[in-house]
Amino acid sequence: MAETVLQINKLTKNFGKLCAVNQLDLEVKRGQVFGMLGPNGSGKTTTLGMLMGVTNPSSGSFSWFGEPSTHFTRKKIGAVLEHPIFYPYLSGQKNLELNAMIKGANPANIAKVLDIVELSARKDDKYRTYSLGMKQRLAIASALVSDPIILILDEPTNGLDPMGIAEIREIVKRIAADGKTIILASHLLDEVQKVCTHFAVLRRGKLMHSGPVDEVGKGEETVEVMAHLANGQAYQDDLSVLLQQFVGSATIKKENGIFQVMMKDGFHSQDLNKFLFEKGIISSHLVTKKKTLERQFLEILAEAH
Amino acid sequence: MLHLLKIDLKKMTSYRTFWIICGLYFITLGFSTASGMEILKWIASKFEDFGSSLNVNRIPLYHFPDIWQNLIWFSGLFKLVLSIMVVISVTNEYQYRTLRQNIIDGMSRFEFVLSKVLTNLLLSVMSVGMLLLIVMVTGLIYTPELIWSDMLVGTEFLLAYFIEIFAFLSYALMLGIFVQRSGLTIVLLMLSHMIEAIIKVNLFQESLNPSIGWLKQFFPLESITNLVPLPFARYAFQEIQDYVSITAVAIALGWTFLFNYFSYLKLKKSDI
Repeated sequence: MAETVLQINKLTKNFGKLCAVNQLDLEVKRGQVFGMLGPNGSGKTTTLGMLMGVTNPSSGSFSWFGEPSTHFTRKKIGAVLEHPIFYPYLSGQKNLELNAMIKGANPANIAKVLDIVELSARKDDKYRTYSLGMKQRLAIASALVSDPIILILDEPTNGLDPMGIAEIREIVKRIAADGKTIILASHLLDEVQKVCTHFAVLRRGKLMHSGPVDEVGKGEETVEVMAHLANGQAYQDDLSVLLQQFVGSATIKKENGIFQVMMKDGFHSQDLNKFLFEKGIISSHLVTKKKTLERQFLEILAEAH
Repeated sequence: MLHLLKIDLKKMTSYRTFWIICGLYFITLGFSTASGMEILKWIASKFEDFGSSLNVNRIPLYHFPDIWQNLIWFSGLFKLVLSIMVVISVTNEYQYRTLRQNIIDGMSRFEFVLSKVLTNLLLSVMSVGMLLLIVMVTGLIYTPELIWSDMLVGTEFLLAYFIEIFAFLSYALMLGIFVQRSGLTIVLLMLSHMIEAIIKVNLFQESLNPSIGWLKQFFPLESITNLVPLPFARYAFQEIQDYVSITAVAIALGWTFLFNYFSYLKLKKSDI
């Protein structure tokens, strides 16, 4: 069993009448890439703000590494909340030197992290001259500068173009491969599904769901099919009629000439393949599609109503 | 401690505004305090235009021991410039939200306030050093007969000056932390004396309650002003207070502590 790095107990934050975070319980273990999902305003940033000491909790508690949080524990965590924050009149290099001083990190790490985020060439330019993507990358560099055990990233791809998003995703994956624990808050479900091992869903400050990403696809499967006759000729008749005869099919839909077969429990793509083959039909396209996080997310939110 | 000071100085030393304001402060402080004799000579020449005479050498503006209180009182007027720098330094942290990132990176709120207070201390010490230099140079030039014991009379005003600067910078820091916007803070800072005077005038109308007039000295800005009393009236044959009052020092130190404590308390309680 992996060591628990973060334990949250009944954490609550009220802003006047508004309850931004409501009795939140959560646990993050070492090595997890933990996605925090939720619509805008669901309390993700407030929660992270409390974990990082900038927002005072109304009630509840949390512990990092099994100890109550102090500014010493924060030095072991690399965090970027909301958007990158730096001194605009300082260069990227000087900003990182300042981060390293505060964190008590080895200044020799600066060159290394600048390399990781590919900013070495622009390190002596003032921060205010950076593009949004460069600012986000510098923020990741600053989070990495103390070689932290845990990395917290809040919407790290916010406002980036597709190339920037892909770059950041690659960086996150590389860091995760190094065995670091990452907490990633995002409203981009695709993002979380691609990089995270575990996820939690928040809605109006309440925890709706928490579990491994792998389990999302469990349960029902959907299989995409396109088929030809055994002799190579295209199948002329309506394939859906045939598919309905298959004992494992629950529902059948046709999208862009491809049939989507929702499978009954216990049936898989190989069963369908075998069935078609026995009918003298060869499938030219057969893909098992697991339920996406997006669907699960929407279902979780829908259940809450 | 030194580490915290280094952190705050690192924020400042690449900031052009910091160098410009501090440079202007020390240059104007140095030149204006050192050029009193020239101004006196100019006034004397104006007197001559009207047919009367003024012997500038009879006014011992730069003679030990008068020079201490004279120059230190005058230099106190410049502290506003330095305090504006302090306001900019702390309100920038709110405007750029770097305060938030400092805390996230592992500074405690206490350390953040302490780093700013340490810079205030450094600026105060530098002001005292600057003044010591000016007093020594101009005093040695203008004092007709140097007597060692005369030189040391009045050095306590250096300590009073240090407290005056540090207390006012602490006040500026607190104002910055409470108001958080630079423009508004600077306006409030400049009007502080006026606002306090209005309050005092309305509270202590001598005719109404003469018995509580002594309370005036406990007002924060008044306590800072009382450290170094206005010296120049002595050249018009008036009695002045030519020493540093221990009570004034105690009250000013009390306020200095409170200013910095309030800064910490405010920061501790707020979400940033």
